[in-house]
Order: sequence, then C-alpha cells, then structure tokens
Amino acid sequence: MDLNRDLHFEVEQFYYREARLLDDREYQQWLALLSEDICYVMPSRYVAQRDHALRGTEAYLSPEREMQTETASDLPLREENYFVLAVRVDRAFKPTAWGDNPPARTRRHVSNVELLGCEGDELKVVSNFMLNYSRHGQDNFLYSGQRRDCLRREGGSFKVASREIILDWNVITAPTVALFF
Amino acid sequence: MILSDLDRCVSGDGSEVYRRVFADEAVFALEREHIFGKSWLYLCHDSQLKKPGDFITTYMADTPIIVARGDDGKIHASVNSCSHRGLPVCRSDSGNAKRFVCPYHSWSYTVTGDLASIPQERHTCNGRDRAHLGLKPVPRLAEYRGLVFGSFNQGIESLDDYLGDMRFYLDSYFNRFPAGVEVLGEPHKWRLRANWKLPVENQLGDVAHGPYLHATLLGDSPAVPEIDNFGHNCVPKAGHGAAVRLMPANAAPQDIAWGLEGMAALSGDPEFLSYLLEVQAQAAEKIGPIGARIKGLTYGVYPNLSFLWSNSTLRVSHPRGAKEVEYWSWWVVPADAPDSVKTLLRSNFTHMFGPGGLLEQEDSESWMQQLKGSDISYMDDRPLYYGLGQGEECGHPDLPGLIGSSYNEHYAREFYKRWREDIASGMREGG
Repeated sequence: MDLNRDLHFEVEQFYYREARLLDDREYQQWLALLSEDICYVMPSRYVAQRDHALRGTEAYLSPEREMQTETASDLPLREENYFVLAVRVDRAFKPTAWGDNPPARTRRHVSNVELLGCEGDELKVVSNFMLNYSRHGQDNFLYSGQRRDCLRREGGSFKVASREIILDWNVITAPTVALFF
Repeated sequence: MILSDLDRCVSGDGSEVYRRVFADEAVFALEREHIFGKSWLYLCHDSQLKKPGDFITTYMADTPIIVARGDDGKIHASVNSCSHRGLPVCRSDSGNAKRFVCPYHSWSYTVTGDLASIPQERHTCNGRDRAHLGLKPVPRLAEYRGLVFGSFNQGIESLDDYLGDMRFYLDSYFNRFPAGVEVLGEPHKWRLRANWKLPVENQLGDVAHGPYLHATLLGDSPAVPEIDNFGHNCVPKAGHGAAVRLMPANAAPQDIAWGLEGMAALSGDPEFLSYLLEVQAQAAEKIGPIGARIKGLTYGVYPNLSFLWSNSTLRVSHPRGAKEVEYWSWWVVPADAPDSVKTLLRSNFTHMFGPGGLLEQEDSESWMQQLKGSDISYMDDRPLYYGLGQGEECGHPDLPGLIGSSYNEHYAREFYKRWREDIASGMREGG
C-alpha cells in the first residue's frame, strides 16, 4: 500500500462509515468491521510523577508515561477481544440492557486522520475523536480522545485489527466508558 | 437540622430511609462531620507503599491526603495542603519522593509531613515554631491485613474493635493466599451524579438486584441458583456487611476456589487453574475450614469501603457533596501469582466492573437515576422501603454476626440505623 491521497481518502471514508453505524446503533454491522483477532484496549490515565532525570527532553512530558496499559502491573480501563465486544453488541439488543434503555443519542466526529505507515497488508493510523453523549433529557457529556489503530486490508475494505483508545481524562466525568469507540 | 429531624431521615428500625438522605446538602454536612470525621476511613493497601519515600495521594471524604512510607519504615498520612498559602504540595497520584515542594514559595516538607525548609527564612529575622508548620497529620492510622485506614478522630476505638467480626470475612479473602494480596496499577476514578451511599449500599449486600438489573448477563448465570442455595447476607457489626456463599463441605474445590468465577477461567489456561486450585487446597490451613468454604460476593466496611470478591476490586465512594460521588476502584491480586495468571485475573475485573464494565454500566445508571428519585420534594413523606426480610435475620452455627438470606435487606437497615445513631450522638455531643 502506498501512503498516498487515495489511501488517506479511503481510510477517512472507512472511519466515517464506522462512526455512522455506531451513531445509528447498527452495532452488528459495526462488529463486522472488526477482525476476529482484534485487540481492543483503553488505557487509563493517571497523574504520573515527573522523572527529573529526563528534564529538557521530550520524554519528560510524554503522555505515554501517564498510561496504564495492558502490561502485567498496570490497570487499563478496558482490554477486550472479539468475544467480549460481541457480548457487548449482543447485550445492547436485549430489553434488559438498562444502561441503554432508553438509548443514548450519540454523535461521533472523527478528525486528524494520519497514516503513520504500513507493513504488508497492515496500516498504522492515528485519529482524534469527539463523541457527544446525550441521555435522559439534559444529561449531556462530551468525550474527547485519540484512537491508535492497526487497519488490515481485507478485500476492498479494511478490518480493525487493533485499537487503542486514549481518553483525555484522569477522573472519568461521564456515566460510562462502556461505549463503542 | 436539629436532632428530631433525624426521625425524618431514617426510621427507628431502619426499614424506612427518607429520600432527603440521598439528596440534601444539609444532611451531607452532618455526614461529613459526624461520620467521615469520626470513622476509620480506608486509605490504601500497604503493597502500594513498598519503600521509604513511596507515596500515594487520596481523599478522606473530600479532604486531600498524602499517604507515604517514611524513613522509619512506617506509614504516615497528612493533609495535602501547604501551611503557608494552602496549595497542594504533592501534585501526582503516586511515586517516590524525598521532599514535597509547594510551587508557590517553595516551602518544602518531608514525605511524612514535617516542614523541611522555608527558602525566604534567611531574609527575615523573627523566629517561628517549625513544629507547628508541618503538614497537618491524620491523627490515627492503623492496618488490618494490609488494608491501611486513617481517622480524623483522635479518640476512635482500635481498628480491630471497629471491624469486630468483619475480620473473619475479610480474612477469608485477604488472608487466603500464601503470600497475601497486592494492589497493582493505579485506581480507576470516576465522577458520578449520585449520592455516595448508593454504591456503598449496592456492595454491602444488595445481591437481590443481580439477576434483574443485570439480566443481560446474569439472568442465566449458575451463580444465581448457587446464591439461592448457599447465600447469606451477614452483618457482623452494624454498618459492615458481607454477602457470601458458604459452600457445602463436600463441594468440589473448583466450585469454591477464588478466581475461577469470571471471564478469566474461560481461557482454560492450565497454569491459571493449577495456581488457583493449589491456593484453595491450602486455604483451610490459613483461614480455617469455614473460611476456606466461603465464596464471597460483596463486602462493605463502614462507611465507604467496598470489596467485590470475584471481581477482585477494592473501591471507595468519596463524597463530593450530596449529589456527586468520586468512585475509586483498585485491582487486587494474590501477590505470588505468576504474571500470566495476574494478567488473566484482571479480566475478571475490567470486563465487568469499573467505568467500562459490562455490569457496572447498569449499576451506575441506577445510582444516578436513584438520585433523581430522591430529589423530589413532594415525595418527602414517602421514604424508601428497606423492610424486605425484616426480623428473619438470626444467628448461624458457623458464621459470625446476624445472618439473613441473600434477599434480606438487614445489611442496609443496620447501616442506616448506625448512620442515624452516629449523627445523633455527634449532634448531642455538639450540644
């Protein structure tokens, strides 16, 4: 794959379609966009102590130091495979899924799509998102974050082979992060 | 509020709790003074402070606290606020430090809260009493099985007496493992528009909501008949609670062993299975035959510490006024489990609980909606009903405390009776 404008356009269209399916609550169609070996992780972020040995370097301020990822001693917010995501999709369509009854009104905005590189049929992409989440009349919440994806070329489209969701919160100030990002 | 107003907060038998208890800022002001100001409050697990200089920041209710291990090897706690102009002197969630330095004028403190230096001092002449310019200490600290508590109440009873027979239930988890447990990673922190008591009550013994609120996942769960057959709501002392299954003496080890209930066991990983079965095989030696047969559900330590057994999470409900809560959840694991086993165990927590959890998304929805139902002035004469199973609780040959069925709400009645008594005695003392 060449990292050219055509590919960039194709990736953007893929993300717009994905956002539309999620906002239209067509989660079963969304699930079909994920590869069955997907690794889906949402690190949590904490306020890390500065390492003064790094002062003057960019590593001193790197957000990576604030991430709780899926290593053995960390505690991410979510770390899921295809099975767990399929359980979440299945749940949403049950009458007893009270957290989604009535369902939230959501609107996802994807921007800052940047192709970082490709290896074989896999493409590394980062993008930003804003998600407006509205429930129960006036309960409105705004989510902001970054997605770090590996997209795999499959047929004429892509599948999400891995996704890391970086939320811009230390203390979560929304009712749930159990949404599809 | 005056003392007689408490009759319109909680009925004498605890079976009626008036809605204002969850929504009235005047009630919260009393809770802050007479409950959070007088009780033992959970601070951290000692595994979070391994070396001298290690620190974490947390809250006691809404008071910001630094907990640190000093050069003396002991744990100290102080209020995170500079004696000069009041700024927080520690600005990270955890770490290791020699000094905390206030950004404003660089007053510095040792990790245990003593004043170390005032940079401007050399330019002034008047003497000052350094001993009184340290960070304000939390006067009482104590530890039980690695759980570190602090109290603002200098005269509070010992932590052992405060916990009473809750120690039996705590032991059945916190003393179950060969090398004890440890807290790994940083807690999940989550701000909800709910009263702090509702998450507490949920995990004090509210087993009854499981198959209904969580019907999407628990409707067909084998845990439900097991809870019906072997489940008990135990109140070892008013305010504390332990919902447990006491498995039969002839139950198979894999039906009792901690950690096998949840997503992680689906992996079928042989190392995972053998580690947890070995823990179970040795459990009776550590915690006795009854303790070893305990398969817990939820625990609560008054006023705001909770523990979820299968999901291995400790949580504290930090109030932010009457109508908001900052809910913190830590992940606890057996300290000597191999890394691969710990990583698998983590899914028992993260898939189900925390801000992204499959189950907890319905709980947080309920807590927030309950606040709306509590904030209706026309309903001031319609208290919430906590009378299920009233009078059916009694003693048990093997389990300490008052024991009811899993659906007996006595855990909540006892909590609110103690809540009322603590506020009443505080108001009486205050004149």
